[in-house]
Amino acid sequence: MDKKLKLEIYRKMLLSRRLEERIAELIKAGQAGGFMHPGVGQEALQVAAIAALRPDDYLLYAHRGVAYWVARGIPIEKILCDLAGKEGGTNHGKGGVMRVVYPQLGVLGESGTLGGCFPIAAGAGLSIRVKGEDKVVLCFFGDGTSNRGTFHEALNLCAVRKLPVVFLCENNGWAVSTPTEKSTAVKDIAMRAAGYNVPGKTVDGNDPEAVYDAVKEAVDRARQGNGPSLLEGKTYRLWGHWVGDPEDYRSREEVEKHWRSDPLPRFEEKLAGEKILTEKIKAEFEAEAMATIDRAVEFSRSQPHPKPESALDDVFA
Amino acid sequence: MRKITYAEAIREALIEEMRRDPSVILYGEDVANFGGIFRVSAGLKDMFGDERVFDSPISENALVGGGVGAALTGLRPVVELQFADFLFTAGDEVVLKAGMWRYGHGGAYAIPLVVRCPSGATGVGPEHGQCPEAFFMHAPGLKIVSPSNPADAKGLLKSAIRDNNPVLYFEHKLLYATRGEVPEGEDVLVPLGKAAIAREGDDLTLVAISAMVPKALKAAKRLAAEGHSVEVIDPRSLVPFDRETIIESVKKTGKIVVAEESYKTLGVGAEIGAMLMEQALEYLDRPLRRVAIPDVPIPTAAVLEAFVLPNEEKIYQACRELLA
Ligand SMILES: Cc1ncc(C[n+]2csc(CCOP(=O)(O)OP(=O)(O)O)c2C)c(N)n1
Repeated sequence: MDKKLKLEIYRKMLLSRRLEERIAELIKAGQAGGFMHPGVGQEALQVAAIAALRPDDYLLYAHRGVAYWVARGIPIEKILCDLAGKEGGTNHGKGGVMRVVYPQLGVLGESGTLGGCFPIAAGAGLSIRVKGEDKVVLCFFGDGTSNRGTFHEALNLCAVRKLPVVFLCENNGWAVSTPTEKSTAVKDIAMRAAGYNVPGKTVDGNDPEAVYDAVKEAVDRARQGNGPSLLEGKTYRLWGHWVGDPEDYRSREEVEKHWRSDPLPRFEEKLAGEKILTEKIKAEFEAEAMATIDRAVEFSRSQPHPKPESALDDVFA
Repeated sequence: MRKITYAEAIREALIEEMRRDPSVILYGEDVANFGGIFRVSAGLKDMFGDERVFDSPISENALVGGGVGAALTGLRPVVELQFADFLFTAGDEVVLKAGMWRYGHGGAYAIPLVVRCPSGATGVGPEHGQCPEAFFMHAPGLKIVSPSNPADAKGLLKSAIRDNNPVLYFEHKLLYATRGEVPEGEDVLVPLGKAAIAREGDDLTLVAISAMVPKALKAAKRLAAEGHSVEVIDPRSLVPFDRETIIESVKKTGKIVVAEESYKTLGVGAEIGAMLMEQALEYLDRPLRRVAIPDVPIPTAAVLEAFVLPNEEKIYQACRELLA
């Protein structure tokens, strides 16, 4: 990973973190509804993986936070408009912040039911193959979601048809209140790759370089027509499942322990040590993130609500 | 009489039935440690232990299908889906397995399964807010109940658990916190298939389902102030369906409005309309009116959601139109 890319990943991780923080403030102040599942702690995995894509590749993000969209380059003001259910976003109030969509950058949307993503990813891979393109599909999902039956069907289909799909599990140790070891028979989700005869790899999901390298390798493989891969990044959900989650199912000690491997300061220190990130650049990134978010919040406030009768639009093409 | 919430009533029914019958088990995503994402089953794991109350993987097909298998072999499982919408996720197991296994095997087995389905729009968009009862009314072999108040929530759940057939139990999320009188006593049941007359009246029959019942009662009160006597009927069970109570009411009023939080086409109102065409046409002196969601998915933004959802005002207006 070159210096420029490292800084870009750091900048987007920081912007995502600040945006999550602002969104949580807005929700707590009753200024935003939405159905937001914060991704704090998982930004390294999300941003670094998406950095391995080309702009014309397809992306199916998961429900965990904003960093996927920030990483892909979806304008922040659009995300906030979707959160507020306003015009000016990506889905005209139809789907809220959980259905941010951006066809220009291959962002296909989100399944409200977990596991709906897998067959859709396979289908996008099928389309790439049939059209003879060299695009790739990146499909994110949580460890809990990997227990849906659709996971099995889609992986097998992708494997037998050699479809260009990279499945990337964000293993954050929890699915709402259920710890992964209570719901999932394997220690590493990537072990399941053996069942589909595809490459499987587990990496430290809080290390952007490890994530980037693994995803890049799998993306290149898929692009060359060698079929799907199953990757997994180990990470941790530092905040609640939703904003306002009482979190009485896990101990403070556990959470505090994981704050010590928060990927943001960790990457910051690494880049500072490599003399890539200076105090000056850091301050610039902070200021830029705040200014971008302030502008986006203002923009979303200025946008109108959708017209009530527009609820009837968009059913059929 | 003591008052408890709808959520407490459900919890009480679960506790009583689990005490009464060791073959009753409860499982689903986050039901044990967390007590369910709506906290309805809080504490049950400590009361009954991990063998009978447990957290499952996110595997809706295995949840419902597992319930069918356990029911075939002597348990009375209560399976919780986190949202009623996930009935579609587990569609094969719900419609083709729970609904048809017994019939296809010539009645060889009974399937005493309850699937708890939190329903209702709460600003969370197309896949987490439906009241999909009508989809499953179309599927043979499934009983369906939708309680509108705490007493029915308790009594119907107890009946559902004791019933020897698969029952989809729809608990409306916006009713969880509502309070009402609930009689005590382990054997106070509400029978499946018996409607309740929530308010008596002579001028118009207003059938309302689940969370539409309190809204219908408010509309009826407004209409009463204007001199109209509206009879509000709460079917409570959609399968089996108490046709008699509705037909008797229509004989008296000659007018009917149906309010439901589901899509209009082929909804509960459509079935009631067809039933009246077949069995009570001569008593109707005005056309049937349905208050339902126009045939669009439920949007997320509040202004859009409010536009499509039925509410007290829309119910009131539909009644006014027929009473004019
Ligand atoms: C089919 C389905 N089942 C259940 C849910 C409710 N639900 C939303 S997020 C979630 C937990 C998901 O866990 P995981 O996949 O590990 O992702 P995480 O939330 O930990 O990021 C659940 C159970 C859903 N949306 N869809």
